[in-house]
Amino acid sequence: MYFLNLSLAQFLAVFGTIAAVSIALYLLDRSRRRQVVSTLRFWVAADQPSVVARRKRIQQPWSLILQLISMALILLALAQLRFGSPDAAGRDHVLILETSAWMAARSGNRTLMDIARQRARQYVRAIPAGDHIMVVRADALATPATVFEPDRAKIDAAIAGSTPGSTALNLEQALAFARRLQSQVGRTAGEIAFVGTGRTTEMDSAAMTAPPRNLRVIPVPDAIENSGLRRIGLRRSNEDPDVWEIYVSTRNYGAMPRTVNLAVDFGPPKENTRTVVGARRLTLQPGADGEETFEFRTRAAGILGVSLTPHDAFPGDDKATLELPAQPSLTVTVYSDRPELLRPLLAANPRVVAFYRKPAEFQPNAPGLVILDHFAPPQRPQGDSIWIEPPPEASPIPVRTTVDQAPFSGWNSASPIAAGLRAKDFKLERAEVFASSPADESIGSVDGGPVIVARAGTPKIAVLGFHPALSALRYELATPLLFANLLRWLAPEIFRRSELSGGSVGAVKMTMEQDRDAAGVQVVAEDGSALPFTVRDRALHFFAGAPGVVRVVAGDREYIYSLTLPELGETKWQPPEGVRRGIPRSLPVPSTSHDLWPWLALAGGLGLLAEWYLFGRFRRTFGRRPVPLRPRAPAEVEVAHR
Amino acid sequence: MGDGPLLDRAFLEKLERLTIHWQKSFAGLVGGHNISRFAGAGQEFLDHRHFHHGDDLRAVNWRAYLRLEKLFLKMFQVEPRVPVRMLLDTSDSMTAHGGAKLDYARKIAAALCYVGLVRLDTIQIHGFSDRLSQRIISTGGRHRISAVMDGLAALASGGRTDYLGVVREFISDYEQRGVVIIISDFLDDQGCDRALGYLADFGHELMLLQIWADEDRTPPWMGELDLRDAETGAALKLDVDEEARSRYTHSFDEYSAELERLALRSSGRYAGVATSQPLESIIFGDLIRMRGIA
Repeated sequence: MYFLNLSLAQFLAVFGTIAAVSIALYLLDRSRRRQVVSTLRFWVAADQPSVVARRKRIQQPWSLILQLISMALILLALAQLRFGSPDAAGRDHVLILETSAWMAARSGNRTLMDIARQRARQYVRAIPAGDHIMVVRADALATPATVFEPDRAKIDAAIAGSTPGSTALNLEQALAFARRLQSQVGRTAGEIAFVGTGRTTEMDSAAMTAPPRNLRVIPVPDAIENSGLRRIGLRRSNEDPDVWEIYVSTRNYGAMPRTVNLAVDFGPPKENTRTVVGARRLTLQPGADGEETFEFRTRAAGILGVSLTPHDAFPGDDKATLELPAQPSLTVTVYSDRPELLRPLLAANPRVVAFYRKPAEFQPNAPGLVILDHFAPPQRPQGDSIWIEPPPEASPIPVRTTVDQAPFSGWNSASPIAAGLRAKDFKLERAEVFASSPADESIGSVDGGPVIVARAGTPKIAVLGFHPALSALRYELATPLLFANLLRWLAPEIFRRSELSGGSVGAVKMTMEQDRDAAGVQVVAEDGSALPFTVRDRALHFFAGAPGVVRVVAGDREYIYSLTLPELGETKWQPPEGVRRGIPRSLPVPSTSHDLWPWLALAGGLGLLAEWYLFGRFRRTFGRRPVPLRPRAPAEVEVAHR
Repeated sequence: MGDGPLLDRAFLEKLERLTIHWQKSFAGLVGGHNISRFAGAGQEFLDHRHFHHGDDLRAVNWRAYLRLEKLFLKMFQVEPRVPVRMLLDTSDSMTAHGGAKLDYARKIAAALCYVGLVRLDTIQIHGFSDRLSQRIISTGGRHRISAVMDGLAALASGGRTDYLGVVREFISDYEQRGVVIIISDFLDDQGCDRALGYLADFGHELMLLQIWADEDRTPPWMGELDLRDAETGAALKLDVDEEARSRYTHSFDEYSAELERLALRSSGRYAGVATSQPLESIIFGDLIRMRGIA
């Protein structure tokens, strides 16, 4: 006889506490009945002495004894008192079934997953019928597929429903999860059976050299030759933004050298219309990586495909596709009588397509950015605009005064528009000083006030109180930088630099070029939902459990992760000596054990009911017997006064 | 209180043959239905007495004067209109144990009022606790019973009983002697014998109807009790056993007997009424037996 939920000491401690509280309450007069009566005079007249505040003795011992026995029975039920020995109870086994991406590899005419399912079923058949089994599917995450289930049909259904995932096995986490599950359930822990190849990610060797004592490993043989794509990276060339620099990494996971053809193509999704970007023939040594780079010029959007041929037993990592975005450009319409002043500034930026118009040709709905040089249109442009020396009476930001020969006093270094601008020692022959509002941002100023002002909002407006190409600033490097910053501020999506990576699903670590606050970073999945991430030491970490595209936007950078390759473990775990291996013929069948708690709970409930029936129910009316009405004496005096 | 009338129509019909009865003779104007020992302007000869100055010359027996040369005055029997007043206890003690006593008292009062209305008696009903409260006048015939029952049902309850104060106020308000029907549990910690004695000494005829709930006479509780007085809130902790309950019932019965003796001593009537008894058995049994109604 033993307790399933409590130890004997715990049981005695709890029962002792409950019994002490019950007796204390009994003696502390917690059960004294309050009763409102019409008068107290007859109680006083009944000459009944008042009782003391506390009882000094137990006056209804049978009531108290019955209560304590009933509470003890209920406590025994809660503690799950059982007949037999603890070993006699059914055990709880955890069956860890590997569902990593590698399990999709073929071995003969079957996949590794088929073999693992068969081994798992054989193991389940070897387990005694009274034992419970929980199926846990393990890839990068350990996911329970059942509870501790005695029903073998449900176990079999869970095994049959297990399919290869996209991530690599994290065996350490799966074993820790199984151990925690067994410790949380109060029954006897059985085995932790792992069915899989054991090809796992980098692991803490210290933790894995001392696996759980009750671990059983049922290996799935995976002597399969495989080579595949590991990583693909794309970025626009710094020299020529129309050129994509493509980096492809491959790996031979097998035990023999392997020669493969690496091909890269680009175009629409239909393969027969695609353009070949490049092809190489590679010889990969066992366990070695191969790296190749390609260059491809295009401004158009399309699908970049990378493939390895011939295919092997694991075709999942032989092909990858990435969606390349088009190179965007910014349309700038300049209304000026002297376009030659601005032409060099705009022509220097390859993403800008500039059109030069006379002020008389002004159209308020011109697409893109509008630059108004010494000109105020009758109707303000509907899009973003840069105003250069606007007429004071029509300036979008009021002109406070006009100054001559004003020394330039400085840039607002806090503004991204003034980033990198250092020129300071020059005079402005003539400049308009603006009366900016608190919502406006001063970019550059003279002693009299701001001469370059930016106003955020819709549309965005930047106003220059002088013409940079007609002032002393024309000789400074600050002039093209100022225009570059203005264009970047006005159209950040055009100038955002994109980097594409093709890789495998799972945990992704991205190193950023500069420290960024997590609030300024967005990690968005393919369906638009935000993915959780952490930023630590300029490294951004996130986890993608399923194939897809993940976008990371950090300031003026956009990183696009096309996570379509399966994640493969690079380490083969070898269980240490002492770990049980293989499918047992049959585990020893424990002797039977009987649950007593339903009977104990029933007896406890009946005891409390009996106590209430015998002592509580009639406590209010105990001894109530009808007292006959006082016999009426004949009227002693009946006098009629007439 | 339920939403329905205090008494149903069938029961009221049974009350039609009854009359409120009193034993004392009261002086008053003609119009009642109980004969009085006081002479008045009646039709039936009662007695002779000597003539005194101021007597009505029309009542002088001139035949006797011619024969005896002495003036004798003829006196006639009269059935005076006697005021009937009813005092209905509405104190907190009446609402203890679920308010059964007050409900029962309202029903008895309604039944007596209907008996009076049928005989065209006027009954003034007062609620009281520590002083007289609302007054309901029951007069005008049987069709006014609905208004009376509504008034009884609307009587507010609460307060602590003070018989002495109530009787003082009553005597000062009503100088004409008459019948006083008191429906109460008579549970006043100061005692009500002195107050009732005053009423009787003043010349009123008392009809005491003591109402009690079963819990008042035979408390059902056993064991350790924390008793609270419904009126004063005073507490008393007791360990009650069978013997104590017997002593309690004995004390209660003694008190009821004392009330009965007090009523009889002052030519009044007394009836003890348990709320568990049917109302019909009280009206047609106890009240007729004590000659409160006939």
